Amino acid sequence: MDQLRTLLSRIAALFGRQRLDADLEEELRTHIDLATAENMTLGMSRRQARTKALREFGGITQTRETYRAHRGFPFLEQIGRDLRFGLRQLSRAPGFTLTAVLTLALGLGANTAIFSLINGLLLRPLPVPHAEQLAILMNSNSASQTSNEMFSGPMFRALEKRHEAFQDVAAYWSNRYQVRGSLGSIEVEGALVSGQYFRALQTPALIGRYLTSQDDQPGNSNGSSVVISYAFWTQWFNRSPNVIGSKLILSSTAFTVIGVMPQSFIGAEANFRPSVYIPLSSEPIVNAPVKMLTSEGIMWLRILGRRNPGVSLEQANAALRAATDPILNESLTDASELKNFRKIHFQLAAEPGSTGLSYLRSTFQKPLLVVFSLCAAMLLLACLNLASLLMARAAARERELATRLAIGASRRRLVQQLLMESLLIAVLGTTAGLAVTPIASRALVAFLIHGSHNVFIDTSLDFRVFLFAALATVFAAILIGLIPALRATSGDLTQQISNGSYARTTHRRRGLLPRLLMSSEVALALILVVGAGLLATSLTRLYRTGLGFDPKGVVQFELNMRKQPVQGEALQRLYQEFGDALSRRPGVSSVSFASAPPLSGDIEIDTLATPFSNGGQAIHINVIAPRYFATMRIPLLNGRDFNWQDTQSSGVKVILNQSAAKALFPGRNAIGQLLPMETYEAKSKPFEVIAVVGDTRFRSVRQPAPPVAYLAMTQSKSEHPYYAALIRLNGQDAKNGIPPSFAVAARNLVTRMAPEAPAPTLASLSTQFDNSLTTERMMAMLAVFFAISALLVTGIGLYGTLAYATARRTSEIGIRMALGAQRIQVVVLIFRENAWTAVCGCVAGLVAALFASRLLASFLYGTSVRDPWVLAASVTGLLAIASAASLLPAVRAARIEPMQALKSE
Amino acid sequence: MGDSKSDVLQGTLDLMVLKTLEAMGPLHGYGIARRIEQVSGDTLSLNQGTIYPALLRLEQRGWIKSEWGTSETNRRAKFYSLSRIGKKQIEMETENWERVAATMARFLAPSN
Repeated sequence: MDQLRTLLSRIAALFGRQRLDADLEEELRTHIDLATAENMTLGMSRRQARTKALREFGGITQTRETYRAHRGFPFLEQIGRDLRFGLRQLSRAPGFTLTAVLTLALGLGANTAIFSLINGLLLRPLPVPHAEQLAILMNSNSASQTSNEMFSGPMFRALEKRHEAFQDVAAYWSNRYQVRGSLGSIEVEGALVSGQYFRALQTPALIGRYLTSQDDQPGNSNGSSVVISYAFWTQWFNRSPNVIGSKLILSSTAFTVIGVMPQSFIGAEANFRPSVYIPLSSEPIVNAPVKMLTSEGIMWLRILGRRNPGVSLEQANAALRAATDPILNESLTDASELKNFRKIHFQLAAEPGSTGLSYLRSTFQKPLLVVFSLCAAMLLLACLNLASLLMARAAARERELATRLAIGASRRRLVQQLLMESLLIAVLGTTAGLAVTPIASRALVAFLIHGSHNVFIDTSLDFRVFLFAALATVFAAILIGLIPALRATSGDLTQQISNGSYARTTHRRRGLLPRLLMSSEVALALILVVGAGLLATSLTRLYRTGLGFDPKGVVQFELNMRKQPVQGEALQRLYQEFGDALSRRPGVSSVSFASAPPLSGDIEIDTLATPFSNGGQAIHINVIAPRYFATMRIPLLNGRDFNWQDTQSSGVKVILNQSAAKALFPGRNAIGQLLPMETYEAKSKPFEVIAVVGDTRFRSVRQPAPPVAYLAMTQSKSEHPYYAALIRLNGQDAKNGIPPSFAVAARNLVTRMAPEAPAPTLASLSTQFDNSLTTERMMAMLAVFFAISALLVTGIGLYGTLAYATARRTSEIGIRMALGAQRIQVVVLIFRENAWTAVCGCVAGLVAALFASRLLASFLYGTSVRDPWVLAASVTGLLAIASAASLLPAVRAARIEPMQALKSE
Repeated sequence: MGDSKSDVLQGTLDLMVLKTLEAMGPLHGYGIARRIEQVSGDTLSLNQGTIYPALLRLEQRGWIKSEWGTSETNRRAKFYSLSRIGKKQIEMETENWERVAATMARFLAPSN
């Protein structure tokens, strides 16, 4: 209570300070007068009486100061004064202020942008109540070191029944589903969710109700329910309030819409936005002909749990450990499988799940942290640079500061005041940076997830981003301001003022600290340049290595005919007719199909063996149509391509790539050999090798080309195969991506020939190739951007400090020249200054870079972290920048006229 | 500063001011300072100036209030008087101080 009254009274005192000051003055005057009067009654002279009164009072000034300190908020008032003073100082040097603010805006803005990306990807909790209670269920085993987050259907159903530590456990699986509407079929993102899913996420439906355990009953196939997202409701139902009860044809099955989720709801995955939520029990219907739910072997479901209030993660883990064995018992009917699981110590565990699941995290976490470090290094460099510039500026204010020190200002006050100036710069910089942060981070996200339209990273600014920006601002302010402030107010300045003339001050000692700062800056710049060099070199090598085929001009789309009412040979004929129709289009040079188009990631791997091979070999299987190699421009080294006449009855054929030929028939000519492939043999006859083709990389350029066996789709025994179409366009047409007329034609063709298939999404293989290197490209691009900024900033810094130091040495140089120094000697003298800074910085930076670049090792392809060319080029580049920065001041110094320089003193 | 005089202990000045106002009624700063000196019988070395921050502190807490008036010599002076809260506070502060003094006395008493 007392404190509150005191606080209010202090706040009140912030206003009307002048009146309060006058009151105090009068009160004190009265005191002295009264005391003097009393003393005079004792017989003292007026003078004696007044002296005694003053003595007994103690220090009047002191009393006044103490009084004021208690009256209002002297600290705040001081800050206010410092702020005004700082603003005046900054507005007096607009050029410097602008440079400083822009440099910091760049540094702080870039850091905040990358931080908001990290925040969106790694830190932001799911937008559900009490996200901290969420846990992600994992399983670990002794056979593989890493833990896994996938579970089988029976395992989940067993877990769903016993979950002591959890209020709710929910399983889900994300996939694309075909929705049929009046304008044809489209594919939407969907999630299969178990009964407790929405209850675990504690988010009520916006309209209608959400799915519950009653909707997730096995055998509940008549009239399955579905919940839709806000976005889908808007897009598909135009936000009609009558949506509840509407029918939705999902994967050829009618579902009833029972609820719409609110706009804020994104489901259990941070980077994925399902449009439809389907009960898990409908899996056999919507995934038909696949059926995973009852399979004991397929691990596919992700499980999320909400802990009971008061149950810690450790307790939840202990409960899961105890539940592992009964769950295994229930979910594995095969005794030998059960034994296997026990042997590898299969174990359930829970991990913190407040941020939800995200497969993006593992992809981007490390690259983002590397980029963040590079970015932080650039901010540090910018701060060092500004510190040097501020130091030079503070030197110009030496006299002012020294005078203030001499007349009794405390050093702390002066340092505080100078720091306020740097804080002002930092705050202005951050504000400017924050203004562009959302644009920058959105552009980064667009770049990162380019090509995957179903992935979201929410980079909007939240309190974590602001907190980060605030901390970075304070950090930057201290980094920029503290050293110059301490330096400018250090004791030897008073000597300086008594020395008077600049020409006589000892130059060496004064120059050490700025040089140290500049050397550190050069070292940091070198680290950044080396990092950028390594990443860029690695990227160039990735591109140069290539894929083994020519992605330029090839367009690919999936032709999903699973719902098409044809199969077997009829389906193959449909594919062939479709291919023929496409290749008749102008601009198309060839068309083919493949079950596993490159860069897609989906592949079947089989273990094959021949009498010559060294045991079983893991071989990729790709089922293709004729003209595949021509379309992809994969060299046919030997033998012949498949043709449409290679049918089941004409004898099964296989084409191997070089790696496969070498693995299966080492040291022999593979052509004409027989390859037993039990899984694919229709009539138990081995496949005859008819050709050997060049190796191609499959998943990404980073991974070596796998051994591949190509089978003919005309000889496939699969009833319902599923192929992607690959079309090579003529050079001219393919240059600017996919020609829109071709895209329209392809879509029309699909609608006409395969009305049940979803409208295809066309993708160019070269874009996919670029996308497969997104992370590498992002890292290299940002690193190069940071390196260029670092070089620029360092160059400006070196120039600025040297120009200033040279200006201060004008009279010294004048004397030297008057004493007979040649102009070239002066140039060398000035040049040497930066040369030393640059060389010292480069040496330090090189040592640091050798250590720091190890962090990059795992990102580099075919490039050593000590690549001599990169290191040499970086050092040369920095030395060149330093020389360029020295040139102007050196030339200016050489033009000094000795007489004028001495006169001006 | 004479050896026989002691400095004013932190916190005791406030109580002295309150007690003075309780005994004397409304009084100006100089009057309060003089009264404290007289009561303490010159055993205390008090810089008269220090009572002004003390007065401010007490006023901020709402224990005393102030008013401009005219002094006995016809000068404009600020008169301080106890507020309602301040009257209650004196009891508590007195108790507090007695407890401290008693504790100190136990420490200082010759141990037996």
